[in-house]
Formats: sequence, structure tokens, C-alpha cells
Amino acid sequence: MNVLAAADIVELLRLVPVQRAGGALLLAAIGLPVVGVVIVGLDIMPVRFAMMHVALLGIAVGLLTGLDPMLCALVACALAGAGVAPLARTQDGLSGAMGLLMSLAIAAALLVLSVSGVNAAGAFALLWGSILSVGSADLWVLAALAFVVPGLFLRRRRDVALLLYDRELALVSGVRVERLTLLLLVLVAVSVAGAIKLTGALLVDALTLLPALAARRLGNSLRSITAWAIGIGIVVNLTGFLVALRFDLPPGPVLVLTAGSAVLAVHLVPEWRIASWRTRASAYPSSH
Amino acid sequence: MEGLDVRMRGVVCRHGRAEVVCDVDLDVVPGQRVALTGTNGSGKTTLLRAVLGLHRDVAGRILVGGRGTASAAEWAWRRRACAWIPQKPAGGRFPLLAAELLNSCGATTEARDAADRLGVGSLTDRPLHTLSGGQLQRMYLARAVGCAAAGAGVLLADEPTAALDFSGQEEAADVLLSLPVTVVVVTHDRALVERCDRVLEMAAGRMQEIR
Repeated sequence: MNVLAAADIVELLRLVPVQRAGGALLLAAIGLPVVGVVIVGLDIMPVRFAMMHVALLGIAVGLLTGLDPMLCALVACALAGAGVAPLARTQDGLSGAMGLLMSLAIAAALLVLSVSGVNAAGAFALLWGSILSVGSADLWVLAALAFVVPGLFLRRRRDVALLLYDRELALVSGVRVERLTLLLLVLVAVSVAGAIKLTGALLVDALTLLPALAARRLGNSLRSITAWAIGIGIVVNLTGFLVALRFDLPPGPVLVLTAGSAVLAVHLVPEWRIASWRTRASAYPSSH
Repeated sequence: MEGLDVRMRGVVCRHGRAEVVCDVDLDVVPGQRVALTGTNGSGKTTLLRAVLGLHRDVAGRILVGGRGTASAAEWAWRRRACAWIPQKPAGGRFPLLAAELLNSCGATTEARDAADRLGVGSLTDRPLHTLSGGQLQRMYLARAVGCAAAGAGVLLADEPTAALDFSGQEEAADVLLSLPVTVVVVTHDRALVERCDRVLEMAAGRMQEIR
């Protein structure tokens, strides 16, 4: 393994692609873990796989029609997110829908690829982005997500908290449940699809789902879980990125392993220990 | 007169092919306290849920305060007009603080006062899944008091005293029946039934007047 000295890392950090990657990871650490909280809350963990396949279908349609394949992928994911929203009426409607979506999308994608005569491997290749190749347009997308997603949570936290707890309670409390579910699902679909393109399919879990899983154990309300998720996201992304630079390793797998270790570590902390942190945290005056 | 009237004509609710509520007609005048009793599975809970639009497969007419539910705006009005205490409060996939539950009624101060009176005022910073069944039921009752303060004219309570001890049942009944609203309460609690103005029984989806 090629270990770099601190001076070399400073040298590396002067390179524009490295700076962009660092910036992208920081921005991603603000928006994407919040999307992860929604994924955990709506119990739609397979969404990443579903969206990968839907994105592939979008790319296939793009290649067939001559439109921008990535744009088609994003639109396909947004439509798929909106399309499954009515299934959220029952408790396990959504998680089942994700499986169905995955099967249908891959079948349709393969059919379209076959009809269009495009090499399937070429279409798949578009799904494997890399954090070191993010451009300024990608940074803008991440910045927009970092602004829009936590902003929505802040503005609508009462409604989102009620919806993630219990759809019926939200309904009788006057939350426009169908509209909010649709909005959240489209946001999740577009964020996941965008993140796959920006960072590669593997990194999506590290940036989105894993911080939320760790936070779910540490927090005891939507607000504290969201705050923990963003905090863990920032720490994990910076640590993973610096470790990858220091040991000259590919950032994707290192970030996933760092985030995974954080989840494991949090689950190894005994319950009483976490409870005592919560008590201390709630001893401070809160705004509710 | 306080509270709103509830009127049902030919109400039928289905779960799949099974008809769980069959052709129910009911007139409840404003301010009346109605106990709805009957064996498990006789359709009581489904009927209450139908009023709030939580049960989807419903035929017939249900009017509250003379208003139907033809549009989304009318549904929104109906859900504001009817406070609800669910039979089995959801365990929840995601944590919700008791304070957030109380805030959801629209009259936080009154709901918090009610929580204090019901002995759960000190638990508001706890997530609901860490409360006992009785504490959770009191919290939902406090929320219902808040809903009434926020303008609800009907309280639909589904076994609101089932998880409570004897003194708790009496206390909860006092709070329920003191609210300036029409009350329809599904219950097996004899003391609560005794204190209602009117008693209805459901059997195999049909309703009959007992008292």
C-alpha cells in the first residue's frame, strides 16, 4: 500500500479534482443523509436498487431517442417515485412496490436496449460515476440538494414527523398526506438517481442510508435523528476521504467501509449509555 | 347546544368481500354522549374509521354538522371537526415525541394542560414508543381535549379506557364526558356505558338501540 506523508496530502488537496471531490462530499453530507432519514422512515431500503434499474431504463430510452441519457434517467426516476406514491396507503405497500419496480424496470430496460441495438454494458457504465470526476454542474446539483432537502424538513417538520410516525395520525391532524408522500418520494428518487451518477452506485449507501441508520439509533425524534444523520455524514465523509487520500485508496469503498463502521460502532454502544446521552440532551431547553 | 350532529344513512363498510357494517342508520343530536358496544369484530371500529375516511370501502351517507365529504376541502373540515382516539395507537415506524403528538391537535396549551391533569404532563419529552399502554392512552386523550379546544365538535373515541386501571378509567371518563362536544365512544367499560345518554349495540355489522 502506498502511504502518503502529511505534506503529500496537503499537496493533493491543492489539486482541483480533489478539492471538488471534497466539496462534493461535504455538500452531499448535508442533503443526502436527510434523504436517508426519509428512506428509513418510509421503510423503503431497496429504493437504491429500484432507482438504479429505473435509471437504466431512462438511459436506455435516452440512447434510443437520442435525448440526454442522464436527463432521461432523472426524469424516469422522478416519474417512478411519483408513480409508487399511491401504494403508500398500506403499511407495506411501498417496500413491496420497490421490489416490483426493480423487476419491471430492468425488464423494460433490457427490452429497450435490445430493440435499440445498444450495448447493455455501455448503458450500465453510465451508472458508475466517481467522486473524483464531479464537475461544477454536479456540485450545483449537490448544493441544491443540500439546500432544498434540509429546508423542506425545517419548514414542514411537524407534517413530516407525523407522516413518518403514522400515516393515519397525520391524516386526521390535517396533514396533506398524499401530496407530502409524493413530494418525499420524488425527492428520494431524484436524490438517489442523482447521487448514483455523481458518486457511483456504491457510494450512495455510504452517503445516504448508513448515516441515517446510525442516527436512527442515536436520536429519539425526527429533529434529533436528522441532526445526528447530518453530523455523522459530515464526519464519515471527511474521515473516509482523508483516509482514502492518505493511503492512496479508491474513495468509494473506503467511504462505505467508514460509514459501515460508524453504524456498527453505534449498534455496539449499549442502550443505557445512549439513554443517558439523550437525558442529558433533553435537559437543555428545547423549542417545542 | 354544543357539539355537532352526526347523521348516517344506509352506511355499508366492506373489508374485501366481507360486509362488516351493514346498512347502518343513525342520528346523534349535538352534545349527545353515545356508547357503542358489541362483541369483537362487530364493526364498531370500522364505523368510526369510516366517519374520518380512514376506511376506504364505504357506501351510504355520513354527515357531520350537516356536511358531507365530496371534496378534499370537506374532508379537511371533517377531520378538524372530529377528534379521534384510536383503538390501538400506532407503534410507529419512526419515533414521535409525546409533545409532537400534543402539538398535532392545533391547541397545544390546552392539550398540555390536559396531559398535566391526566398525570402524563412530565412525559412529553419522551418518544411515544417508550410509554406504557395506559400512558399512551392518556396522551391521546389529552390530544383529544386539545382538538376540542381547537374547534372539534365531535369526539370519536375507540376504547379510550381499555388500557387504564380502575381509577384511571374513571378519570378518563370524567375528562371525556366533560368536553363540550358530541361523543361517540366504542367501549366495553360498563361504568362508562352507564354514564352515557344513549347506548347502541352492534352485532355482525348491524346496529340496534339498547337504551
